[in-house]
Amino acid sequence: MTTFKRIAVTAFAVAALGAASLAAAQDAPQGNAANGKRIFLADGCFTCHGRSGQGGAYNGPAPILAHTALPFDGFKGQLRNPADDMPAYSDAVLSEKDIADIYAFVQTLPGPSSPKDIAILNN
Amino acid sequence: MPKRRQSPDASRRNFLKGAGLVGAAAAAAVTPPVAANAMPAVPAEKLKAALPGPRQVAAETMPPNSDPVNQSTSGGDFMTDVLNSLGIEYMAINCASSYRGLHEAIVNHGNNKPEIITCVHEDIAVHMAQGYAKIEGKPMAMACHGVVGLQHATMAMYNAWCDRVPVLVVGGNIMEADKRGPGAEWVHAGVDIGQIVRDFTKWDDQPASLQHFAESAVRAYKVATTPPMGPVFLSLDAELQENPIPDAESLRIPKFVPVTPPQGDPAAIAQAAKMLVEAQNPVIVVDRMARTPAGMANLVALAETLQCAVIDNAGRMNFPSRHPLNQSFRRAMIGQADVILAIEMNDLWGTLTHFSDRINRRSRPAYKSDTKIITLGVRDLYLKSNYQDFGRWQDVDLDIAGDGEASLPALTEAAQRLIDDGRKATYAERGKKLAAAHLAMVERSKTDATIGWDASPITTARMCAEVYNQIKDEDWSVVGTAIRLSWMHRLWDFKKPYQWNGVSGGSGVGYNLPASLGAALANKKHGRFTLAFGGDGDFMFNPGALWTAAHHQIPILYIVHNNRAYHQEYMYLVAMAARHGRGVDKMDIGTTIKDPNIDYATVARGMGAHGEGPITDPKDLAPALTRAIAAVKAGGPAVVDVVTDPR
Repeated sequence: MTTFKRIAVTAFAVAALGAASLAAAQDAPQGNAANGKRIFLADGCFTCHGRSGQGGAYNGPAPILAHTALPFDGFKGQLRNPADDMPAYSDAVLSEKDIADIYAFVQTLPGPSSPKDIAILNN
Repeated sequence: MPKRRQSPDASRRNFLKGAGLVGAAAAAAVTPPVAANAMPAVPAEKLKAALPGPRQVAAETMPPNSDPVNQSTSGGDFMTDVLNSLGIEYMAINCASSYRGLHEAIVNHGNNKPEIITCVHEDIAVHMAQGYAKIEGKPMAMACHGVVGLQHATMAMYNAWCDRVPVLVVGGNIMEADKRGPGAEWVHAGVDIGQIVRDFTKWDDQPASLQHFAESAVRAYKVATTPPMGPVFLSLDAELQENPIPDAESLRIPKFVPVTPPQGDPAAIAQAAKMLVEAQNPVIVVDRMARTPAGMANLVALAETLQCAVIDNAGRMNFPSRHPLNQSFRRAMIGQADVILAIEMNDLWGTLTHFSDRINRRSRPAYKSDTKIITLGVRDLYLKSNYQDFGRWQDVDLDIAGDGEASLPALTEAAQRLIDDGRKATYAERGKKLAAAHLAMVERSKTDATIGWDASPITTARMCAEVYNQIKDEDWSVVGTAIRLSWMHRLWDFKKPYQWNGVSGGSGVGYNLPASLGAALANKKHGRFTLAFGGDGDFMFNPGALWTAAHHQIPILYIVHNNRAYHQEYMYLVAMAARHGRGVDKMDIGTTIKDPNIDYATVARGMGAHGEGPITDPKDLAPALTRAIAAVKAGGPAVVDVVTDPR
């Protein structure tokens, strides 16, 4: 079953994202989060990463994007020339502004919280 | 499905039925309608005017037909005895004239033993048998119409083949051309009806006599249940089923003795033990290993002896999900291994390879160049050529032909003999590190699950957490999942041999609902609480399975992971559009199941099952599950339609 193989790698990708500098995110161009949400839902981002940016799976893991700590340049680089099976979005599909807007949107998505606050996650 | 056509004449096969119909028509003619919409009675003047026609006159004046019209034995009776001698509990069917002899014999001679499970499609019947076998550890039978029914059954048989699951399929046929009636009996007959499934069955036959049937049935059962297991097929001649037994005294039911699964060669096992014991970082990968309740215990014993990582591909219930050595969600362990032991793998190359689905398809090993690979299993002992389910070639260093479950105790003992106190201390340290990593992974999964907790559509993490919260104290068995849905294995405590039974095998869509039902049928007599998740796309291939569940009162909680799409295909289309530099905002065309949205709870209720949903607000999920679980405990099927985020 390849499901586990693919999901399992997610954790490492997420860890890598988490290690990125929050300061770098502050260097991102100003984006329109509302328009970013529209693109995120219309252009397929949610299909792999989830509407809440909770992550998911395509052929491989689709990392968590909610409140990502990935720097904007890294975020854009992954969209333009992904390291794995993620589709590559050229400028003809997503403009620089679109990417900035998406980045602004995912920054608004709440990241993980403590599972201790959710009783049924502690069974 | 077309059945044998009704002949207008009073032939041997239709005589009694025709007489019954005449009597019924006469009764209707004199019985007044009792409801406003009932058919009106025939007017009295018409009855008075009726005169016998030439056919009736001929029938009443000709001498009686000398052909026999009754028989005291039938080949079907003997066939039923043979099936019962094998301990087959159930036969899933969609009724058809080409095996009416066997069907009637099972019901009357066998007193419905094997128990007939009525299905509304052959795909459902075979998949039920597949799911059943993986819980019960033995095959059930499936019967289908010879040509068209078998054509319906093929994809499910392919799933069972790829999944290495034993299923006994029988299909009716009329071998002798001069015995076939006009019409349907010709288009439903074949010279070699098993040809269509021969590429994905282990063995098939078309017996020409009852003794031949007996020996072939026992052989088929034996072949199917000998690892590597798989489906088998028997073509049953209709005359053989229906006609009297000519020589009952000469018939004999052969003695069935199961094959002892082969253990690996002792020298090879000893070599494997030495490699594993001397390794710094051995890793076990496993897929379809556990075929009895002993399998999991055997693997736990080996893993604990070595204190090594286990990566479970979950083709069966191989290893407890919360065992500290379970590293299934830490696949990078493969890249750190110096020795890999791969047991009963379905896709060894795929498990040990990084593959990229890009314009130029690339692959590279996920393991180090000096890693030694040991394989243990029987999968490659029986291969066929056409369908490529054997996967890509993988270089290995030691290839042991032997049943994984049967060979593990000898491997564990061989390893234990080689482990001195010094190694024990090293291993203990290794085990501690793995346990800590396992615990961290579980905690990370819980943390990840919190994202979007209150979102609508509902996240799959929340869906799985809510379900587990309500079934965790039951004697549960989860027997189905949707594509890429792994939250159960990340969050739940799987520890009993029947708590999981793998996936479809051939990735043929339509498996999940009926196969889960078959597993529920097996669990029923053990009093277990069966539940399954399944995608909405899969559900719609075989929704009629719910009627079977309601009709036979098979308790199961079925949760529809309803993302309103064939979502994997949706993502593929997005990838294609992005690759081609074109718009990606229309990729829902042909990939989604919306406009209108399907109301699965209503579909379920229409089939006689309990239905809940569609649930869109996560706060509504727990009460819906409570109601559905109560319906399951009352003995029937329940469906909960959960509108979810895609993954």
